[in-house]
Amino acid sequence: MAEQTPVQIFRRQERQKQYRSGTFFLKLAVLLLFILVPFLFPSFKSLDLALKIMIFAVLVASFDILLGYTGILSFGHVMFFGIGAYSVALLIGKYGNPTYINLVIGFIVALGITSALALIVSFLSLRVKAIFFAMVTLAIAEFAIILATKLSGFTGGEDGIIMSMPGIFKVSFNMGKFLGVEITGRLITYYFILVVCLGLFLLMIRFINSPLGRVMQAIRDNEPRAEAIGYKTFIVKSISICFGCLVSTILGGLYAMWVGYANPESVLGIPIMLDVLLMEIVGGMGTLYGGLAGAAFLEFAHSFLPDLQNFAKSLFPGAHFLHAAMERWLLIFGILFIMVVFFFPKGIIGSVQDFMARRKTAPSI
Amino acid sequence: MAQTILKQWGSKLAIAGAIVLYLLPLLGMDFSTYMTLTIAGLAMGMMLFLVASGLSIIFGLMDVINFAHGVCFAYGAYVAFSVFKYLNAWVTADSVFLNFGIFFIAIVAAFIVVAVVGMVVERVLVRRVYGSHLFQILITFGGMVVLTELIRIIWGPNDEVMPKPVSFAGNWNIFDIIILKYPIYAIALGLIVYAVIQLILKKTKVGKIVRAGVENPEMVQAMGHNIFLIFTGVFAVGAGLAAVGGLTMAIFNLQVYPDMGGAYLIFAFIIVIIGGLGSVTGSLVGALIVGLSYNYVAYLLPSLAVGVNILIMVIILLIKPTGLFAAGK
Amino acid sequence: MSETILKTEAIHTFIGQHHILQGVSFEARADAVTVLIGRNGAGKSSTLKTVMGLLPASEGKIIFKGKEIQSRKPYDIARLGIGFVPENMGIFADLTVEENMQVAMLREDAATAERLESVLEMFTALRDFWRAKAGILSGGQKQMLAIARAIINDTALLLIDEPTKGLAPIIINALIDAINQIKQHSVVVLVEQNFYMASSVGDYFFILDDGKVVHSGAMAELVQDEEMQSKYLGISKSV
Repeated sequence: MAEQTPVQIFRRQERQKQYRSGTFFLKLAVLLLFILVPFLFPSFKSLDLALKIMIFAVLVASFDILLGYTGILSFGHVMFFGIGAYSVALLIGKYGNPTYINLVIGFIVALGITSALALIVSFLSLRVKAIFFAMVTLAIAEFAIILATKLSGFTGGEDGIIMSMPGIFKVSFNMGKFLGVEITGRLITYYFILVVCLGLFLLMIRFINSPLGRVMQAIRDNEPRAEAIGYKTFIVKSISICFGCLVSTILGGLYAMWVGYANPESVLGIPIMLDVLLMEIVGGMGTLYGGLAGAAFLEFAHSFLPDLQNFAKSLFPGAHFLHAAMERWLLIFGILFIMVVFFFPKGIIGSVQDFMARRKTAPSI
Repeated sequence: MAQTILKQWGSKLAIAGAIVLYLLPLLGMDFSTYMTLTIAGLAMGMMLFLVASGLSIIFGLMDVINFAHGVCFAYGAYVAFSVFKYLNAWVTADSVFLNFGIFFIAIVAAFIVVAVVGMVVERVLVRRVYGSHLFQILITFGGMVVLTELIRIIWGPNDEVMPKPVSFAGNWNIFDIIILKYPIYAIALGLIVYAVIQLILKKTKVGKIVRAGVENPEMVQAMGHNIFLIFTGVFAVGAGLAAVGGLTMAIFNLQVYPDMGGAYLIFAFIIVIIGGLGSVTGSLVGALIVGLSYNYVAYLLPSLAVGVNILIMVIILLIKPTGLFAAGK
Repeated sequence: MSETILKTEAIHTFIGQHHILQGVSFEARADAVTVLIGRNGAGKSSTLKTVMGLLPASEGKIIFKGKEIQSRKPYDIARLGIGFVPENMGIFADLTVEENMQVAMLREDAATAERLESVLEMFTALRDFWRAKAGILSGGQKQMLAIARAIINDTALLLIDEPTKGLAPIIINALIDAINQIKQHSVVVLVEQNFYMASSVGDYFFILDDGKVVHSGAMAELVQDEEMQSKYLGISKSV
């Protein structure tokens, strides 16, 4: 065996360690849980919840590649999600037929548009101060929302587009029972999306651990220095942006496949962007897995908030202002968001990682 | 040779080019329409200037991007809405004196209320995250969401009709050109505010300290001035200016709605990117560019109206990434 | 021995994770010019910034006129009567010379007007450019403006960070004259790498190295001690 460089030895040790650590089995258990959801909790509500957690977990992870790993805050990330959703919806709904070919074309068109747009955005705003990036992307995202709402002839305006899925993804599709659970089009779509999400997630992990990913993190920590060492930071940042946006686009298409429609409110709006930001912050920046924690927390909150609101109302029957406040879940999320940024800037996973690291190093001190 | 000429004449060429560009819409419309659009564009520009100038000064002095700035605009509109509702008789009275009186009261009320809101935002949210752009953006974005929701709780979630004082409606007819009254008032208000800001910045001690702080806040501190007090003050004034912009815009569009802050925040961003962060004059020029372009294009090609401003922003970013009037930094 | 106006006791300062000052103790005596010397990165500028409150001291005490000031805000410290001329001079380039001076004035009384008059007499160039933007001034004129701003108030102590940086020798001589005048009214603490300047105006010296004071004494001794000069200041014996 040829002699190994110190880096190679380090990597080999890391690889061996990863199968022995507890978190590896935790990750497997989470995956298993997603696989078994239809059998353990066979209601539509739980399936829907699991799927949204899945999609948003991966979406937040792709956002994390920009924010947590490259240090770029983009308010346009949800716009690319919307591009994916709208392309699929337009091509199998309004301007096409529900066939597999159209579905594939929908994704390809979406990826094409995203590549072009992400390149333009990154070229434009990476030239200027980093602080402009957030402003420019917010302006462009707002423009996309206006386009989607105003060009109602093309996009269906506020109502958006409704479509039905081709073949085995069709809701009414049914191929009998398996282990007491009916194998419907929904279930097949669920597993299809699960597989794609898993693939995208693994791809992202590979991406951030690649040499390019290391350069990205170097840029995040000290851009002038990374540049001085000789990395073309501009190109690396562009690649990072494009990669994150492409993942976001695919997820948008998947989301449209699941819900069967695309409208500005559900795939483009500021509330979605806030959700993604909140999930990212709650989960923790710079920890791809954080997205899962954040998404799980928020999606659970979304689906159980109405019960919680009624409960709170019954506690304080007289306080009208409180009732009005409880009705506005965005208010609660906004306050929660600020609190998390102030008090847990590293999020759930980040704080846990810190705690584990402290515990590990503690005896040696 | 050509290069030196370009350098010497660069700014004049740009001005001449801009004038030609803004005369071009004449080809697509008659003169009186052009005048109407121009006045509407200038008025809109002046109102946007009020929002953008605060954003720009706050950035210049404190290095803070305030995503909650648009909400101050909306609060201004809503406070004025409440004032108009409470003193409705003054609004509907056919008296120039009472109409201007209520307009003035609304401006003062909106300015004071929103300045206090701005102070609270600065003290509670922004104060803790000086120095970190990322956290500033996140925190003020959160503040924007919370404050917008509070509008829905306080004033209700629906669009409301904003009344216009009676004598503000109507128009003057000058040589067959119909000139609406209210846009002229708005333009006058914007010019007065611009003059007052310039006067304060150039002639008063506080103004000089603020300008010095834009260049080097650390040095201003080392000279014995409490920079945090100045930060809070400037934040409050910036918020108050946005409020005045919001109320004039609400009267112009005859409506208030909870999300209006977000929409105009985008305009303000485009303006400060065009004009250069930290420059008041840049905000004025940027706002006029945006206001005029928006109105011409909205008449000629309605569906492109918002897009044209993004396009201008893109072009400016390509030519001069720091904006037209970059501040001292 | 004259009394001590400023004294630091083992101050530690961090910039980010870097431990810049590791227990700096020095003192400035009244009626004297104290010079901090040392290599680049030894912590001279950071010491002044820490005294000024612009960098927070994590440990140690800073005592000015018998009061502990290490936890005060920079603007409070300035108002106690400490003037500061930073390394980059901190000129407000977009403001005129006049406005620069006005921003620096904490009071506008007769005494300040008198001081302004004498400052302008000392730095006549400032009068010539009184209404010009400070950005157009030459390096030496900017340095004069920076010092003028720092002494326009009734300053008991003046901290000057490398005033000779990048200046021509003839201007350095003018600065030496100016500092010799200033020391009549206030105590001066000077950070200086130019040994000619340091030895011309200084009465006492402290040599900093790696965030600590390694030597101190009267300037006259250092002028004699060529070995120490070459060890800490990189001055070869032949010069």
